[in-house]
Amino acid sequence: MKKRNVMWIWSAGLLLVFGAAAASPIDIKDLIREAVSIPSALGNEEALGTKILSYLPKGAAERDNLGSVYVRFGSGGSKIALLAPLDEYGWFVSGITPDGYLRLDRSAQPHPNFDNYLLGHPIVISTQKGLLYGVVSQPAMHLITRERREELRNLSLDLVYVDIGARSGEDARQKGIEFLDPVTLWPELSALANDRWAGLSLGQKSSCALLLGLAEELGKANLSQEVVLSWMAQSKYPTRSGGARSSLGAIRAKRTIQPKLAIIVDGVPADRGEKSPALGKGPVLILPKEGAAKLKDAVEAVAREAKISLQYQTGAESALLNGLNGEGTEALMLAIPVKFAQTPSEVVDLKDVLALKTLLLQLLQSGRVK
Amino acid sequence: MRKAVYIILFSVLILNIAVSAPQSASKSGPQAASPASGWDLLRKIVLIPGLSSQEGKVSDFIQAALPSSLKVQRDAKSNVWFTVGEGKPHILFVAHLDELGFLVDKITPQGTVLLRARGGLLPQTCEARPFVIHTAKGPVEGVIQPKPDYYQSQTAAAAPSRTPAVVPAQNPAPPASTTAPVPAQKPPQAAAQPAPKPTPAQAKAPVQAPAKPQGQAPAAAAEPVELYLGCSSEQEVRALGVAEGDQVLFKKRLVDLAPDIMATRAVDDRAGCAALLAAALRLDWTKIKTKTVTFAWDVEEETGLNGAQLLAKTLKPDYVFAIDTFVSTDSPLENKRFGNAILGKGAVLRSIDTSNVTPKTEIRKVAKIAEGRKILIQIRNSRGGNDGSVFVADGAADIPLSWAGAYAHSFIEKIVKSDLEALTDLIAALVEEWK
Repeated sequence: MKKRNVMWIWSAGLLLVFGAAAASPIDIKDLIREAVSIPSALGNEEALGTKILSYLPKGAAERDNLGSVYVRFGSGGSKIALLAPLDEYGWFVSGITPDGYLRLDRSAQPHPNFDNYLLGHPIVISTQKGLLYGVVSQPAMHLITRERREELRNLSLDLVYVDIGARSGEDARQKGIEFLDPVTLWPELSALANDRWAGLSLGQKSSCALLLGLAEELGKANLSQEVVLSWMAQSKYPTRSGGARSSLGAIRAKRTIQPKLAIIVDGVPADRGEKSPALGKGPVLILPKEGAAKLKDAVEAVAREAKISLQYQTGAESALLNGLNGEGTEALMLAIPVKFAQTPSEVVDLKDVLALKTLLLQLLQSGRVK
Repeated sequence: MRKAVYIILFSVLILNIAVSAPQSASKSGPQAASPASGWDLLRKIVLIPGLSSQEGKVSDFIQAALPSSLKVQRDAKSNVWFTVGEGKPHILFVAHLDELGFLVDKITPQGTVLLRARGGLLPQTCEARPFVIHTAKGPVEGVIQPKPDYYQSQTAAAAPSRTPAVVPAQNPAPPASTTAPVPAQKPPQAAAQPAPKPTPAQAKAPVQAPAKPQGQAPAAAAEPVELYLGCSSEQEVRALGVAEGDQVLFKKRLVDLAPDIMATRAVDDRAGCAALLAAALRLDWTKIKTKTVTFAWDVEEETGLNGAQLLAKTLKPDYVFAIDTFVSTDSPLENKRFGNAILGKGAVLRSIDTSNVTPKTEIRKVAKIAEGRKILIQIRNSRGGNDGSVFVADGAADIPLSWAGAYAHSFIEKIVKSDLEALTDLIAALVEEWK
């Protein structure tokens, strides 16, 4: 048989294989990988939002002027919203030095030491010309003084200079750098043992991917109520009202969707002592200080039926829950346990992610939350 | 669905074009092989694992790249070298193969791995970062555990805990440092969190970095370093193939700051290795007859110049050109009083470092050859030692050559392509013209 004929037969075989693959469900692992690779710094979630929209059915999905994405399925019954944060922690360009280095400022930070992760590592800048890579300067180890070493233990942004290979401010601007360009850590993803992954913002990105996987399933499901999925932009900005601190993204989502029931999907720190949730032991149910009893009962009943272990977190102060719960909305959080949360290498157990997806799907299909 | 069919048909078309293309090219005759550039060699060689004392795979790469006509030799430590020509002077060029990292020291019953440092890295830059254990079964990925109180301010970490509170991972935690906006109405939640107990491994004595050899970078501060692999028992770790003594390296990636500027781990001294290799592949060695030239790639520079010391037992050069990093201060956090070789301004002659002083007569000779070939060169002083110093006691003159490298001994060692090319050109020129 001629070589060219063999190639055409091989290609036809590939056509069949890929054809079958195209009809199969989206692999949530692929969605997580994709989500991790797209920077979505707080207030600059457009690229990830656009990617999510590309997966959603046209006409049913929309984006608001904050950057949050919504998609609706089904109709009637009690409107239920499932929401995940679209934003991750990061910084923005606050200045360019005459010799071409970038200065940074932060919009919000998860803990007081988060800036330390910048030192001596690569970062990604989302510019008008696309992604640009830089590194954060550190002293050479041969030259570092005792005083400098001490200073760097608690890194101040005063000592942060981003090197993008530019030699002047003009050079940096020609590379596409502008004031306020968002900056995130390098989007690393590593596969550990026992279906555990480590990566940047992995709790949040897994939550986004989980909701996207759920959207695909809901598109095929026979629903007896209206279900709205939302990926919330600017969820990490707490509002400064007189009451409890509430997430801006959550408040906006609540006003847009006006749900009767709401479930927030997010990561939660795990393995932080005896009272902390544990990695790999199932989704974590986090309740608001008041309310959500009926929703809690329904979640627990479905978890029992599906034989999914639940972990509990009580007494939590959550700006997301504060933004959603109350005033006509019953809200709780179902979270993915995250080890080394709020570091460059957040660890999640994929079994927890898949269990949560199954739980949510079965909950929506069960009719228990109508 | 229609979209998917179009994508598949398009993919099949592309596949057939791709398969057909080499056939068309082969009909027009073989293309001339271009000489390997130092830059391309660097981008390959820098990714090969080669912790100090475990450089075998890097030695393999060098050995495989060199033509058999050069009669490459290799010793038990994986030093690799070849010698061409005969007579005086004997000129030695040497670059080191090894890199910084860790060794697997112990596997804990809890399924983590305790690490022992091989060379100095800034400890806090390792925390919560991905590392790879290079086992006999293949690479195993892990994360260096952050300190137990990594999410708390120093003040908060020291405070006694009262009410447990939880801040969901992606939820805004109230700021607890003076550098963040301070909310008036609530105390920092992080301050109320109980300080986690140290793991058994963290409670043990710190893992010590090896003693700092004279002239080397300061060793990392001794702190416990523990790698998390996703396992929960020693048996699980061993089933992955992990064993004591395996090398553990940072998960490397090439960060292209520009098409001609790169930052990554182990540019020190894979750039030296690449420049030496590129020069070796470019030179016409049949013309070297009236002097002796040795090119060597040696081991264990970072942990005591051990490879060079072994070579010095058999090689007695008159001149040694150590090809190694110049610790440049061309970056914002450095004192410009010394080490001020500018990136992008050519090769560097390390006239004075922490190991010895190069005689001015030799400096002038190098400068003259570089000038004659229009090779950009900077003559500077900095810190750090080099392999060439080992040969000085036996009568050699040590003339360390380099490129201007920023952020030495970090994960973002930065290099400019034209500097590497200048260094390669300089090595080739010295082989041809040095007397």
